[in-house]
Amino acid sequence: MILEISKLQKTYGNRTVVNITDLQINAGETVGIVGNNGAGKTTFFRMLLDLIRPDQGEILSKGEQVVNDNRWKDYTASYLDEGYLIDYLTSEEYFVFIGSLHKMSVAHVMDYLQQFEEFFNGEILGKGKYIRDFSKGNQNKVGIAAALMQAPELLVLDEPFANLDPTTQIRLKTLIKSLKQERNMTTLISSHDLNHVTDVCDRIILMEKGLIIKDLRTNENTLKELEEYFSG
Amino acid sequence: MLGTFLDHQWKAFWRSKNKGGTIATQIFIGLVVLYLLAVAIFLGVGMEIFIEQLFPGKDVFIVFNGVILYYFAVDFLMRIQLQDLPTLSVVPYLHLKIPKKKIVNFLNTRALFSAFNLLPLFLFLPFCATAIYSVYDFFTALMYVVSILSLTVFNNYAALYIKRKSIQNLKIVPLVLLLIIALGLMEYFKVFSIAEISNQVFSWVTIYPSAGFGFTLLAISIYVLNARYLRNNLYAEELSKNEEKKTSTDYPFLDRFGEVGTLVALELKLILRNKRSRSVITMSMLFLFYGFLFYKKELLDQDRLETMLFAAIFMTGNSICVYGQFMFGWQSSHFDGLMANKINIRNFIGAKFLLFTLFSTFTTLVACLYGFISWKLLLIQFAAYLYNIGIGTVIVLYFATRNYKSMDLSKGSTFNFQGVGASQWVLGLPYFLSPYVILLPFSLSGFPYWGFVALGGSGLAAFLTREFWLSFIVNEFHKRKHKITEGFREKS
Repeated sequence: MILEISKLQKTYGNRTVVNITDLQINAGETVGIVGNNGAGKTTFFRMLLDLIRPDQGEILSKGEQVVNDNRWKDYTASYLDEGYLIDYLTSEEYFVFIGSLHKMSVAHVMDYLQQFEEFFNGEILGKGKYIRDFSKGNQNKVGIAAALMQAPELLVLDEPFANLDPTTQIRLKTLIKSLKQERNMTTLISSHDLNHVTDVCDRIILMEKGLIIKDLRTNENTLKELEEYFSG
Repeated sequence: MLGTFLDHQWKAFWRSKNKGGTIATQIFIGLVVLYLLAVAIFLGVGMEIFIEQLFPGKDVFIVFNGVILYYFAVDFLMRIQLQDLPTLSVVPYLHLKIPKKKIVNFLNTRALFSAFNLLPLFLFLPFCATAIYSVYDFFTALMYVVSILSLTVFNNYAALYIKRKSIQNLKIVPLVLLLIIALGLMEYFKVFSIAEISNQVFSWVTIYPSAGFGFTLLAISIYVLNARYLRNNLYAEELSKNEEKKTSTDYPFLDRFGEVGTLVALELKLILRNKRSRSVITMSMLFLFYGFLFYKKELLDQDRLETMLFAAIFMTGNSICVYGQFMFGWQSSHFDGLMANKINIRNFIGAKFLLFTLFSTFTTLVACLYGFISWKLLLIQFAAYLYNIGIGTVIVLYFATRNYKSMDLSKGSTFNFQGVGASQWVLGLPYFLSPYVILLPFSLSGFPYWGFVALGGSGLAAFLTREFWLSFIVNEFHKRKHKITEGFREKS
């Protein structure tokens, strides 16, 4: 078990945004979190990453509190939104910086980025542009690649498929699947695209107004079940 | 059409999200503007008396004539530095069914709404209306007014033209700077004098008043030049940024500091690659001239050194307090990323200490040139330097952990009150008062030198116990970390 969440609550004013009584995530699982806007997905992720302080409850990562402890950062990588990107750096500088936090040398980083050549599709490296001058989709690619580069055991991505072109969406799915095979990586993904989540995830959590209302093992009927929920 | 555009701008101004936020800030801006206008009117109306007071025995008209071009030369420099290009405001209209000519007209009209265009009117027109009218005739006074108006318009569009050109071609900036420095040096070494030229030109106007139309011609030609340039280049991407290739840089000398060094390098890039931080640092370089105002020979001879303390603290430490007062807001746009990544907070805060120390050391070294005036200044500045890096840094970072306002770095810093919160207003008090608390007991009892030794000593003590202060700040940071990240996520 890599993540244990109990009695987690976050309230803004009188609106409870996240209210998860009990949730456990096993190592090696690829978990998709779906739900309409305001379901609490991003807030949940932020609490998971100690960016928001929960009002109640606790999150244990490998048995240790996420709040007030930094050890989870050693094996957790995430990309939530552009708020992660240091927009005045070139993409290379950004990768080198993130790499240096994990004691990777410049050569090591550049070597590693070779693998992403296909994923980048020639749009990211050697462009002579600051990240702020990239298009949204390409910024997304930089953030996701930087997260993957940290060779995490736990990967958290918030709507990674949004703004990506179809080719990259498919490549990202393949990448996540293969990393799960090779390194037993645990992944948490939120998405509005039901096709993608059911395709890549082996467990799907459906949230509504902060509550987990469904927790499904993916099978051939899952997509239909989800579509029914969302059209109803 | 022009009316609609201006109406939109008016709304944009009043409804802008970062108009100042708090009422206190707005009142402050209002007071500053009122003060400046009042000073301008006061100077304008009393010009005749002031000139007689300042230059006794000199002909009032010669001095006045000499001042005009001088004023506009300085005005031009200020405009280049401070005036905003009203360009991006047209982007939403470019694709609509509006002729380019109208958009260009709008841009040019919009450019006239600037305090720079108001100031000379208040300064010079009263004198024209009174003194010149009474000594010469109505027509001469009128032509003076025409000349001054034309010069204002000329400066307005010339500055914009150069700024627009410099967006497309960065090489123009050093060229213009060199030209200005060369002119300034020639003026300084008396190769020629702007005042004299100005005097000759305007004496000419008093003899042949119609010559004033020459300025009008100049103003019209620069207007036409500017308008033509705009019409040919009215594409959003060409107006807003240059296509220069950006390269990666690193600072090898910081490598020895490990992760702290990496974080300092990151912040140096932040400063150099964003408009607002760049202008803050440029400003703090300009503050180095403060010494010429505050360091007085008589005071030095009488050992009244406490009067120079503020200038010394401010010059050696302004980069700390002016840049540091917004900390960690500079990084607000990517603060989530910094917090979620594997960065040790102790190193994060340590990097700020190192950055401040580097800044302050640099400005202090430059300020050492004041040592040519008196060796006493070196002593004062060194004590101030130790205070800044020892105690000042701690004060600034303590307030930084209470700053929850995000910042938008893409705008210039002058009169930009976006991201200003309570902590910025309070910070100055302890920063500039505590050195006096240390110094005054000594200087009042007649031992000013011991006061400076005490000041430097306290600074040095704080510097040597930095590890303790570092833990203290890290502790404070952890207490409010979530509040800071939350505040930074709200783009004000």
